[in-house]
Amino acid sequence: MATAIDEDRLSDTFAALANSTRRAILARLVKGGATVNELAEPFAMTLPAISKHIKVLEQAGLVTRGHRAQFRPCTLDATPLKEISTWAERYRPVWESRFDQMDAYLAELQSRQEKGSPHDD
Amino acid sequence: MTDDRLQDAVVIERTFEAPVQLVWRMWTDPEHFKAWYGPKGAAIPVAKMDARVGGSRLICMEVQSPSGPIQMWFAGEFREVIENERLVYTELMSDENGKPTSPSDTDPPNAHPASTEVRVELEDVGGRTKLVMTHSGIPADSPGAAGWHMAFDKLASHLAQPVR
Repeated sequence: MATAIDEDRLSDTFAALANSTRRAILARLVKGGATVNELAEPFAMTLPAISKHIKVLEQAGLVTRGHRAQFRPCTLDATPLKEISTWAERYRPVWESRFDQMDAYLAELQSRQEKGSPHDD
Repeated sequence: MTDDRLQDAVVIERTFEAPVQLVWRMWTDPEHFKAWYGPKGAAIPVAKMDARVGGSRLICMEVQSPSGPIQMWFAGEFREVIENERLVYTELMSDENGKPTSPSDTDPPNAHPASTEVRVELEDVGGRTKLVMTHSGIPADSPGAAGWHMAFDKLASHLAQPVR
């Protein structure tokens, strides 16, 4: 089922975002691509530790790596973030339609009350 | 509150031509709820709601298909119940007994059923009612259910910052 795959992907995105180091890495990448060495600079962490974080971001589709073998610069890919808003936006038309119905139902209910039983207040 | 405008939520604001007491009952009285909640073409044959904090909720939505009616069940729990003001409940796919449906065997091992939260805030505006509904998603066992709200908020504000 397509939605199951989407939700699985969403879980990956949220899991990737639930870490301050990874958020800092993404914030750095907003300013432009960077190599792993450059990304590691501000952190008191070993290169392998930073690489692990980048791997998680890569798996969530938030970061892509270049193909230049030696440096393989990282760049930000905001597509999964757009998917998050799409996921929420799927519900919007459903709610809009429900509220239209609530509107109509409230009108009907109140006119019934006014006409039907004047003492019912 | 920092989480009033979640990035991953549907927020809808509407004003209804009805007193706040009546709009409150649209959400807490099963008979009223059934009358408006079903999306077009769907019926709500079952709506059980124990509208108090910790009380449970079970909704059945029925849609017609060529091979007969299809029922979908949603279970949840009331988190906040402040009459005529504020209602918060959770919602997730379940079976007819309210037991959350687990991912199927074919799903990858890290697929979670997603739970959602619906928040309804009502305000009397001169006899009419302003309603703000916030529907947000909560991946069931992401590390710290509250954590990722903040994580996403923070990232969104980072991304919104101008590039220096």
